[in-house]
Amino acid sequence: MSLRQLNKNSDIAQFGQALYINLSAAKGLQAVLRSNLGPKGTIKMLVSGSGDIKITKDGKVLLDEMHITNPTAGMIASTASTQDRISGDGTTSTILIIGELLKQAERYLLEGVHPRIIVEAFKLCRTKAVDFLDSFKIEKEITKEFLIEVAQTSLRTKLKQEVADLLSEIVVNAVLTVKREPNKKTGVIPIDLHMIEMMLMQHKLDTETKFIDGIVLDHGPRHPKMPKRVENAYILTCNVSLEYEKTEINSKFFYSTGEEREKQVKAERSFVNARVQKIIDLKNEVCKDGKHGFVVVNQKGIDPESLELLQKAGIMGMRRAKKRNMERLTLACGGIPLNSLEDMTIEVLGEAGLVYEHILGEEKFCFIEKPKKPKACTILIKGPNKYTITQLKDAVRDGLRAVKNVFDDKCVIPGAGCFELALHRHLLEFKKSVKGKMKLGVQAFADAMLVIPKVLVENAGFDHQDVLINVLEEFEKGNKVGINLESGEAMDPQLMGVWDNYKVKRQQLNSCSIIASQLLLVDEVISAGKSEKKDKMKH
Amino acid sequence: MNRQRSLARSGNIENLLKSGTKYLSSLEETIIQNIDACIDLAELLTTSLGPNGMNKMIINRLSKLIITNDSSTILKELEVVHPAATMILEAAQMQEKEIGDGTNFVIVFAGEILKQAQSLILSGIHPVEIIDGYNKAGKEALKYMDELVVKTVEDVRNEEDVAFAVSASIASKQFGYEDFLSTLVAKACIAICPNNEKNFVVDNIRVVKIIGGSIYDSKIIKGFVTNRTPKGSIRKIENAKVVCYTGGVEASNTETGSNVLIESAKELKNYTKGEEDLMEKKIKKLAEMGINVVVSGHNISEIAAHFLEKYGILALKLPSKFEMLRVCRTVRAMPLSTFIIPSEKEIGTCGSVRVELIGGTKITIFEQSKKNKSKLATIIVRAATKNVADDIERAIDDGVNSYRALCKDGRLLAGGGAFEIEMSRHIQKFGEKSPGMDQYAIKKFAEGLEVVPRNLALNAGMRATELISNLYSSHEEGKKNSGVDVTNEGICDMVKKNVFDLYQTRYWSMRLALNVAITILRVDQIIMSKRAQSGIAPPPQVSRDVD
Repeated sequence: MSLRQLNKNSDIAQFGQALYINLSAAKGLQAVLRSNLGPKGTIKMLVSGSGDIKITKDGKVLLDEMHITNPTAGMIASTASTQDRISGDGTTSTILIIGELLKQAERYLLEGVHPRIIVEAFKLCRTKAVDFLDSFKIEKEITKEFLIEVAQTSLRTKLKQEVADLLSEIVVNAVLTVKREPNKKTGVIPIDLHMIEMMLMQHKLDTETKFIDGIVLDHGPRHPKMPKRVENAYILTCNVSLEYEKTEINSKFFYSTGEEREKQVKAERSFVNARVQKIIDLKNEVCKDGKHGFVVVNQKGIDPESLELLQKAGIMGMRRAKKRNMERLTLACGGIPLNSLEDMTIEVLGEAGLVYEHILGEEKFCFIEKPKKPKACTILIKGPNKYTITQLKDAVRDGLRAVKNVFDDKCVIPGAGCFELALHRHLLEFKKSVKGKMKLGVQAFADAMLVIPKVLVENAGFDHQDVLINVLEEFEKGNKVGINLESGEAMDPQLMGVWDNYKVKRQQLNSCSIIASQLLLVDEVISAGKSEKKDKMKH
Repeated sequence: MNRQRSLARSGNIENLLKSGTKYLSSLEETIIQNIDACIDLAELLTTSLGPNGMNKMIINRLSKLIITNDSSTILKELEVVHPAATMILEAAQMQEKEIGDGTNFVIVFAGEILKQAQSLILSGIHPVEIIDGYNKAGKEALKYMDELVVKTVEDVRNEEDVAFAVSASIASKQFGYEDFLSTLVAKACIAICPNNEKNFVVDNIRVVKIIGGSIYDSKIIKGFVTNRTPKGSIRKIENAKVVCYTGGVEASNTETGSNVLIESAKELKNYTKGEEDLMEKKIKKLAEMGINVVVSGHNISEIAAHFLEKYGILALKLPSKFEMLRVCRTVRAMPLSTFIIPSEKEIGTCGSVRVELIGGTKITIFEQSKKNKSKLATIIVRAATKNVADDIERAIDDGVNSYRALCKDGRLLAGGGAFEIEMSRHIQKFGEKSPGMDQYAIKKFAEGLEVVPRNLALNAGMRATELISNLYSSHEEGKKNSGVDVTNEGICDMVKKNVFDLYQTRYWSMRLALNVAITILRVDQIIMSKRAQSGIAPPPQVSRDVD
């Protein structure tokens, strides 16, 4: 072969073989993720090289952890990752659809249809499908109940129902807390999910996961005798060093008597002490009535001497707070983060109803709760072990995205396979208007869409042929229905509150058909270049 | 052919992944094998269940010898690698963290219900149906637990009640000594129990092991004990006033680098004198304030030591930060960061500070007087060998943890398997009433509960099957508290015998065991990466598809 003459180490797979390689990789990947889809999907256990366990149903997590080396599978997986980055959901179905598009195409390819024709047909179908999606979407008034339904639809595919329902309410509460009303000056402010802190705590069970109105810091007051619980607290957030700092230049101090040295020690401290004193003065001023407490959260350090001074003044002091938490803290409690301690007034202080320390084994947590006008909040994720916690964390992240997407899209798509079924029928209609061999490509695309409802039903343990025929008959009667996975019968997703994100579907339709087309058009796979590992082995 | 390695021709999943990755997806490969591993782990521990449990001798990788029947210790040393077994292990660790006792029950019970599930799976029932059944049974069990409470400890300061409540936990580790040890634990806990008992901190009970003597020589010190001895010759002070410095007791240091500048011999002479005067002035001031004990976290300089001795002050260096905090807690002193003159508020008081010689080991004791309540208590454990002392320490730890759980929730259940049998009866009835495929799983859950009385009996050398049927018939007659009598062979009323289990311990261990069992049943596919080999580079691997 000519390529071998160019490079001895290269490997080549030509037309038929190349296609076969790609198809089998896509199908293989589909087979792995198939059982994950939907609320009735099963969970997978991932064991890393070091023996760590991860348990997941989330397609994205699975793909990240699988260490895919096959180039085709890797390509498909990266499409799914993009899907996750853009919409936060729908990774598993992306993989399934790509696999199915190729599978359906294969049938016609084997009968001698040129891939180019199928690809052209896919292109037509894509535009048609996206247009159809726009006509299919439902614009609804955004109420809390509605948002919870959306969150449930997303979360139930990732967690067991009990926990999913609990989390749905939590994520909706969290998003509503950080959402800001649009005003005339700034226009619509996009929701910033970074303002929701996720704090992980290995404690009790996953059902104890909580929404915290306020911020939880993962460190406590540094001095053992500082107050552990402060009510009606004023909160000073600052980024000021409260420890002695050495000079930049090399300096030395000469003394000849002990007294002189004592004086120097005092003088060194006085600089820092003056700063601490300023905080203490402010505290004494604002807390005169004795009803308020005072908390200092500092991004920089506080040395033991300063801590001692603060403690004597009855101030709770926390040092080395994370930068992101400083931002969230001022959003949650109000106040202004300070970079210098000049001209401090009561306006710079935030307020919180309750600040307390919680010790869990060796770890300390500090809860800052009941702030006045919270614009940031915390989701406290609990679980009995690491894998439960990571599972919850990934799910919460996706749940938040799902709720945010509703605000961004301002519309939703009826779920439970309803859209895919409708699209299938719509494309079959469209097929009639297409001329020539392209019809076959359209048929393949339409059939591929059925993979989602099919797998959903399969995972729920029903006979998918029975159910699909049943449901399609309902469509025939003009009802837009989805599949009830508890009973295996048709149901109205709008009544049951099963909603998918518009964004998720849109991205899916676009990316799946593109990547499938690309893979279909590959006619040679060449692996050239040397693998470093192999070289080493030879030596 | 080797060249074609990179282009995997088959869609087999393992070919898509990094070489060496294992993909397991059949029922046989996943659930059944996972359950097998869990059963193995559980069986290992069943022989250690209860007062007559056998000890395990473990030689860990540091070739340290450990003899114990405390399951959390055994597990810690086992270094389990099987993923499913690790999950059970983590559940047990959570129990250890949450309650500090009952780890054995978590593993044994989880193992048993998985074993029951396995037999159901092999007879063709789908795991999902088993999960549903277990969930239902678990919910019902936790609900019914409330009705099985036989006694409630109202007053956690009543020594007798507390001793009974913690004795079951201690008896399962140190059978025979449980009366003595549980009284000891009860006394120590009550002595330091804060006004709001919910704030009881386990850390405030310390255990100091001193080899020699007999276990009955063990005693409680209301205060703090350390194996460090004071610097000077002063060995005993009554009615001490204590000041604690986390920094050193020495001449203060500047942050900037500093040198002494001396220009003449006279200055040199005066300099040392000046330093000494400064130190003497400070220490004299301390003495005038009535301070007679100084504890320092850092160095005590020679000059300081000299003057402290001169003014009759006992000086002790405690480099451990935690020990320092404990002293502060015992004497109620404020830890000071630098060597300054303390204010009256910052000085702590202590009934007596003294050095004692116990079995060849010198220890310094800070003991509070009778009228002053201490926040800290130390149990000095005496035992003939280190292994025994270690095991007693573990038993005491479990006892103290039980006390903490007791402070949160004083409800007690009948021990000795009585609670499990009664619960099993209830769940069986519940199973009969529920329709559908769940009921097989619910009944198996009930059977799983029998594991406790069965192993108690087996470990005591009794005939388990006969005993369990006796227990059932006895419960049927309305004797709801009959359990296994491990001393006299047979069955007896556990409440009359004062054998109790804590409600909290059982509650959490059931929940955690159920939780982990269900998670294991849910897993239907496993993807295992190749185990990372640390240190030595892996031997050249022959690619999978070469052949």
